[in-house]
Amino acid sequence: MSRNSKKPLAVSLATATCALLGTTTASPVIAQEEPVWEFNTALLYYGESDNRVEDISLNVLAQRNFVDDRILTLGLTVDSLTGATPYGAIPFDGPQTFTTPSGLQVRTTPANEIPLDDTFFDTRYAVRGSWQQPLGRMNTFSAGLSFSGEFDYKHLGANFKISHDFNKRNSTVSLALAVARDDLDPEGGAPVPLSAMLDVGDLCNRIGDVDKDVVDIVAGITQVVNRNLLFQVNYSFSNSSGYLNDPYKIISLVDSISGDPLPRIPTPGIAGPSHQYLFESRPDERTKHSLYVQTKYYMNGKVLDASYRFMTGDWDIDSHTLDLRYRWPLSGGNYLEPHFRYYTQSHAEFYRPSIDWWISAPILCFRRLSPRRIRCHHRWPQVRLGNRIRQ
Amino acid sequence: MAAVDRSIHILKKPGYFQGTFLAMGSPCEVLSGTDDESLASSLFDVVASEAWRIEDKFSRYLPDNAVDRINRSDGQSVEVDDETANMLDFAASLHEMSDGRFDITSGVLRKAWVFDGSDRIPDDGLVQSILATVGWEKVAWDRPTLTLQPGMQIDFGGIGKEYAVDKPAGLAVDNSNAPMLLNFGGDVVATGSPGNSSGWQVGIEALESSARKADRVIRLAQGALATSGDARRFILKDGVRYGHILDPGTGWPIKDTPRSVTVAADTCTEAGMLATLAMLRGADAEEFLQAQDVQFWQQR
Repeated sequence: MSRNSKKPLAVSLATATCALLGTTTASPVIAQEEPVWEFNTALLYYGESDNRVEDISLNVLAQRNFVDDRILTLGLTVDSLTGATPYGAIPFDGPQTFTTPSGLQVRTTPANEIPLDDTFFDTRYAVRGSWQQPLGRMNTFSAGLSFSGEFDYKHLGANFKISHDFNKRNSTVSLALAVARDDLDPEGGAPVPLSAMLDVGDLCNRIGDVDKDVVDIVAGITQVVNRNLLFQVNYSFSNSSGYLNDPYKIISLVDSISGDPLPRIPTPGIAGPSHQYLFESRPDERTKHSLYVQTKYYMNGKVLDASYRFMTGDWDIDSHTLDLRYRWPLSGGNYLEPHFRYYTQSHAEFYRPSIDWWISAPILCFRRLSPRRIRCHHRWPQVRLGNRIRQ
Repeated sequence: MAAVDRSIHILKKPGYFQGTFLAMGSPCEVLSGTDDESLASSLFDVVASEAWRIEDKFSRYLPDNAVDRINRSDGQSVEVDDETANMLDFAASLHEMSDGRFDITSGVLRKAWVFDGSDRIPDDGLVQSILATVGWEKVAWDRPTLTLQPGMQIDFGGIGKEYAVDKPAGLAVDNSNAPMLLNFGGDVVATGSPGNSSGWQVGIEALESSARKADRVIRLAQGALATSGDARRFILKDGVRYGHILDPGTGWPIKDTPRSVTVAADTCTEAGMLATLAMLRGADAEEFLQAQDVQFWQQR
């Protein structure tokens, strides 16, 4: 409360108090109530530039502040994903028929269209909780658990982070470890990599549930440059092992001269694929390295947040992500946040858009094939409308 | 009176030292944001010694101190020292500012009112007879000479507790720039933030009956917090709750006071007086504090 805003009684009281205490002025009080619970809710719409995938995401983040800077954070996310996703088979000037992932039906793509699985619809629930507390004067420790579920996917993860402040708390170094176990239970069971798409009802190439383990290590430094500017650099290492395929992706076997998919004749009386397709095969281990730089600039309540990430790894996928957000405060704790993201990546070293019939045998031995990730460029603008409640 | 415990207990905590002692019938706590134990220890000595000095001089429970000499004057004029005169000047200002609601001569009403959570309401005849000896306007105060009417008494309790936090805090600042937090039974002063944090965290307990169950936490970097409340000091009779704030005009408790008011101000004395003046407004406490444009937290 600044002195010149005091009301008459408060001014008289301040004068009388100075006389009592024998002081001329007192330093102005600096006090603020700490919100006990803080809620941050946001609704996010995400659409890919080719109108394939749409995601509507609801985020609720609740934070409970305890004394001694101990903080409990609880988060809930509900995602609703719709849209069509490519099977991975190449387009062709005739219709193509595929067995659905469940192995119980067939679907046909008209001539000259990219084969898409338009049954793609999923709702994902994710909950996470973390506890943060100081460790001595200059260190902070946090530990958390996360769980997410979709109808065919379960994720369970644990994370730990320790950070150390120095340079009058303007610099922070941190080290974080996250481990996760993901279980996949695809419709009809996960296919054996590079096995053929079979007729309806034939599930002999399915291996049921599969899983993968992921370990991430992140080392970072954050520097407060001045009151308005913050700068951050992170290096992260990630290792995944286990079943790393997309169980729904296939690849076309093509004629090496015409380039057309090789036809296939289903068992008489039973529906099945019209052409020869193999389920994708990726290596069962992947190592990634990424470098991330971020800067946040605060201008009179508005926040510009810009970041760039470069990622590379032993699959030879190099990606660049540029992310820009601008938080525009509105009245009543609401805000509008336009979000622009530019993403580009190279394809994996084992990527083939299709397989020529005469080279398929040697490639089968290496089991390093994937139709996933055509070299792609995505730009997607999105807008987040959020609200922050402090109680 | 039993021997008074005048020891200071020192504990090392992460990032600060804590000193605790007893003064004015309350547990007192001092936190010093330093790694230097001998500095912390000497600051605790300075703070506790000053608190005890003020207690010895102004407590109405102790014989032969400044207050006792005034209260036993039996209508005779008493010449007081500078510090006591400053307290009386302050009391006079507050009496004027509060239109007579704040009155250091109203302490004698405690002979009739005992706020111990029981249902004992005093006889109004007794209250009215005591009221004859209440009223700052009946006092002749001509610095440095004070003359009370026979039977009248003064009590600095309403001012002295906060004064006894501000004074030691001022001495501590004169001795060292180490940030400190003084908490004398809920009257709190901060002289700076510890380390590079944004302030000390001060908890305000939620009353059991309060609609808001969670405790509040105030981040105090500088300045003071004082709380006035009747969490345990009340009379409950026939469903009516009588809080411990007495109206010197009627001799009866003020109605509809908030259960607790915490005010933030530059000094503990200002915070404490604003909280007390708010209580004296009863149902209008909140309106009064809003008009003063101060930060406050109220529980009804």
